Amino acid sequence: MTIFTQFVWLGGLLLEGIILVRAIYGKFLAKYSLFYLYIGSVFLGSIFLYVINIVMPLKKIPLYWSVNFITLSLGCGVIFEISRHVFGHRVTLDRVARWSMAIAFGSIFLLVAIHAFLLPRWNPITNSADLERDLRIAQAIVLMTILFLTGYYAIEIGKNIRGMILGLGVYVGASILSLTVRLLIGPRFSTTWQIIQSSAYLAALSIWAIALWSYEPEPPSKRPSDSDRRHDDGYKTLAGQTQEVLDSINEQLEGTTAR
Amino acid sequence: MIQFALSLLVGFALLLILYFFARGGKVSAEGSAKQLREARQTLDSLQFGLLPSDLVHRIFAREDLEYIRRAAPPQVQSLFLSERKDISLAWVRRVRGAILSLLRFHRGHARLYAQLNLSTELLLALNFARLLMVCRLLEIALYLRGPYAAPGMVRTVAATAGKVCTISEKSLVFLKVNQIDPLKNNPSHHGASV
Repeated sequence: MTIFTQFVWLGGLLLEGIILVRAIYGKFLAKYSLFYLYIGSVFLGSIFLYVINIVMPLKKIPLYWSVNFITLSLGCGVIFEISRHVFGHRVTLDRVARWSMAIAFGSIFLLVAIHAFLLPRWNPITNSADLERDLRIAQAIVLMTILFLTGYYAIEIGKNIRGMILGLGVYVGASILSLTVRLLIGPRFSTTWQIIQSSAYLAALSIWAIALWSYEPEPPSKRPSDSDRRHDDGYKTLAGQTQEVLDSINEQLEGTTAR
Repeated sequence: MIQFALSLLVGFALLLILYFFARGGKVSAEGSAKQLREARQTLDSLQFGLLPSDLVHRIFAREDLEYIRRAAPPQVQSLFLSERKDISLAWVRRVRGAILSLLRFHRGHARLYAQLNLSTELLLALNFARLLMVCRLLEIALYLRGPYAAPGMVRTVAATAGKVCTISEKSLVFLKVNQIDPLKNNPSHHGASV
């Protein structure tokens, strides 16, 4: 084990520990239960792999991918957590995010099933880098959908969730790029890939540790209430009138450019 | 190879979006009085400042060009054409800016509703995109061909102005500030105030 790997491993464990201790101390573990479940699983997984690396170094690689897939699956819960907090009472936007999650992850799992069915020699463990990259791409697509919707509707996001998005995004983005280059170049890139992946994870943990140092509720920015029937009528009027203005301007300007 | 290219594209796109997300400014207060006032002012300027047929007719008036051609030396003619081109371009840019304001206003208010109509929102987003593109095309046409290059274009622009003004007058009643109580910050008092 190189000095860098040791540093990343121990640094990661320290940061994960800090994040968990801060949440327990600040009594906000339950507020982001899925996120802390993910951090807890990574923390335990890292300790387990660290011990395995010392006791049975040969078993480390296959066990690494198994642990990685468990934490990767739990990482999807972090996206669910983000969507739940960002959209809150905005039922439609939350539904869009969940549908994009279902479609993105569903397609990946369907692809795995098709591969396993059509190619008997295909094994997810031996093609783990491929599978991880595909799952990271699914995470990235959902994350981009959430970011697009929050940007389009200018939805205010609190410090905690903002940090969660940034940390996860940095890690997922760096993972996709490094895994793709690794699959493209081959084993020659493995060392660099490990450095990039580990550094990105350490960066993500640092962002999370700072953003989740203390609990900050989501901005109480005039949350919509779905109990008021008048809201629906108001929305229909707003959308209808905006559409009417647009149609008219569009029609006229198109006529102008056509000549 | 396509698969690799797509993967790299997704990775870079995510990091780029995150960059803009990280440096994004603070969101303005939803439905604030300032926001409503600005929206009303923008639409007023669209209705009464930018689109009245008199103004559009003045900008694209052919008589002015004919007069200059008859009475002024070539240098003055060239200066006149260059200035008219600048004015017409500035006009299209301001119309485009007003449409962008309408887009911002719609998004700012739509987010206050728990139940949005997804198909309506998609349609509106597409229409806004199309309209902004049409404005851009008009801008390019004016830039390349000048305000007098196509008489048909000038007539239609003038007609556009008049019609849009009439439609705006009828359709934008929902933006009357005196019908909205922004201090309460109640969604039903924003978009629903028609």
